Amino acid sequence: MSRTILTVDDSRTMRDMLRLALVKAGFDVVEAVDGLHGLEVLGGVDPDVIITDINMPNLDGFGFIEAVREGERHRATPILVLTTESDPEKKSRARQAGATGWIVKPFHPDKLVEAIRRVAA
Amino acid sequence: MDELEEIKVTFFQECDELLADLENGLLAMQSGDSDGETINAVFRAVHSIKGGAGAFGLDPLVRFAHVFETLLDGVRSHKIDVTVELVRELLRAADVLADHVQAARTDGVVDEAASADMAAVLAALTASGGRIAPVGGVAPPPAPVVTPDDEIGSSFKPMAIMSLANFDEPAELPSLGGGAWTVTFRPKTELYRNANDPLLLLRELERLGPITVAINDETLPSLSEMDPEAAYLAFTVTLDAPVTEAQIQEVFEFVEGDCDVEITGGPAPAEAPALDIAALLAAAETAQIEMAPPVAEPVVAPPVAVAPPPVIEPVAEPVAPPAPASVAIEAHPEPAPEFTGVLASAIKTPQPKAPPANEPVANAQATIRVDPERIDRLIDLVGELVINQAMLAQRVIESGLASSSSVALGLDELEQLTRQIQDGVMAIRAQPVKSVFQRMPRLVREVANMTGKSVRLVTEGESTEVDKTVIERLGEPITHMLRNAIDHGLETPDERRAAGKPIEGTVRLAALHRGGRIVIEVGDDGRGINRKRVYAIAVEKELIAPDAVLSDEEIDNLIFLPGFSTASTVSDISGRGVGMDVVRRSVQALGGRISISSKPGEGSVFTLSLPLTLAVLDGMVVDVAGQTLVIPLTAIVESLRPKAEEVKGLGPQGAVLSVRDSFVPLVDIANALGFRSDKRAPHEGVVLLIEAEDGGRAALVADAIQGQRQVVIKSLESNYRQVEGIAAATILGDGRVALIVDVDALVAMRRRDNTRPTEPTLFAAE
Repeated sequence: MSRTILTVDDSRTMRDMLRLALVKAGFDVVEAVDGLHGLEVLGGVDPDVIITDINMPNLDGFGFIEAVREGERHRATPILVLTTESDPEKKSRARQAGATGWIVKPFHPDKLVEAIRRVAA
Repeated sequence: MDELEEIKVTFFQECDELLADLENGLLAMQSGDSDGETINAVFRAVHSIKGGAGAFGLDPLVRFAHVFETLLDGVRSHKIDVTVELVRELLRAADVLADHVQAARTDGVVDEAASADMAAVLAALTASGGRIAPVGGVAPPPAPVVTPDDEIGSSFKPMAIMSLANFDEPAELPSLGGGAWTVTFRPKTELYRNANDPLLLLRELERLGPITVAINDETLPSLSEMDPEAAYLAFTVTLDAPVTEAQIQEVFEFVEGDCDVEITGGPAPAEAPALDIAALLAAAETAQIEMAPPVAEPVVAPPVAVAPPPVIEPVAEPVAPPAPASVAIEAHPEPAPEFTGVLASAIKTPQPKAPPANEPVANAQATIRVDPERIDRLIDLVGELVINQAMLAQRVIESGLASSSSVALGLDELEQLTRQIQDGVMAIRAQPVKSVFQRMPRLVREVANMTGKSVRLVTEGESTEVDKTVIERLGEPITHMLRNAIDHGLETPDERRAAGKPIEGTVRLAALHRGGRIVIEVGDDGRGINRKRVYAIAVEKELIAPDAVLSDEEIDNLIFLPGFSTASTVSDISGRGVGMDVVRRSVQALGGRISISSKPGEGSVFTLSLPLTLAVLDGMVVDVAGQTLVIPLTAIVESLRPKAEEVKGLGPQGAVLSVRDSFVPLVDIANALGFRSDKRAPHEGVVLLIEAEDGGRAALVADAIQGQRQVVIKSLESNYRQVEGIAAATILGDGRVALIVDVDALVAMRRRDNTRPTEPTLFAAE
């Protein structure tokens, strides 16, 4: 059974890149354009892993992760954060919000798939 | 990898949108709107461009965007105050960023020096907390300048692939620890809270080599005291593989700080009872059910615990999770995912401040994206429909049906509907002129900088819509007019001060609909046209007779004549040797008109009027040697039936027509297009007096006029090939193809073909 990944990113380019890499690796992909939209989408799907950007309009990545963790349904869904830098401060903030791990942009497709493998049961 | 190329195209489209967002945000900041969301949007625009650029390895763009982003991050976090000077620099930086994007898109290069200077300024601003270097201090000390090879460079380009390579490396490294590694880790509650799972960590460790795992359950309390969400277990793993400590640490990368990890080399302690991984996995599975809290995924256990109201009933305290836990789990091994309300209060996590999911998303897309080709196709089809309807109408007339017959009446309704559909479809393709106007603030800044003038651009009517075909060609004339307004129209700050005007000049760019056309106005509050000087130049350049008597308006319009340029030295701004005549020509090529009005000392206004679409055209339908031709109405000044004595021969071939005391060269359309080689006396036909784009006049001779009609333009070039003297084609009501005459080309052809009987000869002949 193929796994479903929810990608949340306001950049169309980044969503397309993620989709390309994930579909090639055999995942199903569901997309959302910002945190608020991500929460809406989560009302209808149960992804195996969520990948989210941090800087987004309406609801940023931190807020999105917190909201997911505070809800019931997806509290245990692994969430990977996309960060541009390997900025320790940002990582620790993301982890405080409830992120499971992170992927540094620009990502190599193999590295992306590996990160998913590491957090997905 | 064409998929990647496609994404790249998307990326550049997105860049255009982001750059527009960036500029809009900065302009909002400039006018004092510096709220958090505006600054965030500005930051995000640069951030997203950087992110995408990184994915495509566009290093120069990434480097510049990074420096820019760093400064904006400072602004965002209130470390740097928003000042007018700061925003000005940010706007300049946005321009440089746009250059970088453009360079990346076209595989071109950007002005490295300018980019480096700008980057230096940004870095200095970041370092100084937003203080602008003293006037003239373009290059701050080199120290804070972010150079390409510092952390950004290294963290960007090679990282993805390098770190992947690291992963494959272990095989080459002989065992460093000499033998087995012992890894002890004790997860904290946070580890589970973030959806990490010790099981997965063990799985990762196993990928490094064979492992044995011991569980330390010393701190595991009795079931009744157990907090279902707390962590109680520790794991001791023996890994016998030739790997480095760093590789082991990498396994724990995501959980660093969320669990205590201890890695030691050498033989593993043998006290703990060892299990093999399969057994552990099995144990863990069972554990999920039997002793849910520690190993199980937190989400599964606690919600279930409180799930069905009947089960909870005995529990007085809804806040205490431990007791009911086991009961519930037995009752409901399958979690009920839909469960929300009741248990919310029972969960120890703070109440969600998450926005409700049903709240409308602020920027919910009310628009759809459609491939423009589909709309073009639709417009073509509607064009066919219009033609078809006209043909049908003609057939009905030919068949002799009364105009009051039901068929004719039905046809009238059809005609109306067709027209409405045409308007509707054209409206789909219509775009606000905003996309063109948006490019102008930058132009104004650049020209202002180059001329040392202080300029404020005011735009109005940005949402005025025009057909895409017109939008695409508006940019050039507007650019020219704005340059001209700043360069020639506005005075220098000193002159303005002397004239008692505000030092900052204002240039106004407006769009509006008027009489079925779009009107673009470019106005300035500068000195106005110096009519004396314009007149003198025109005389000097022999554009007018030395004793010509001209109205103010006529003098103003002299600047549109070819070869007229008021700037005594052609500046590189309005210049390159092209003047307003070029603007006029490009406007007329679109079926438009341009005019100027000016008040000395108060400024000038250029008014540009264009058809709303280039898909249909108002034309005069004429007969020429048995052919039906269409002449664009915009070119026609008047039509007349000449008397024989008004036609004068000129040289072996030529002839001129006397029109109100001036002579206009006669062009026989049938001869010019090769329909007929013999001459026909012009007074037997009709003459259309036209004004060519270069301002020259000519009299076109046709056999008869059928009337005015709106026609749908069909490209001849794309359907057949280019034909000299013909602009395009259309299909008439009777189904025949009619060619649309390119008046300028026709006149130019004639002029070239004639053995140049020049105008002085003409006057002499008279």
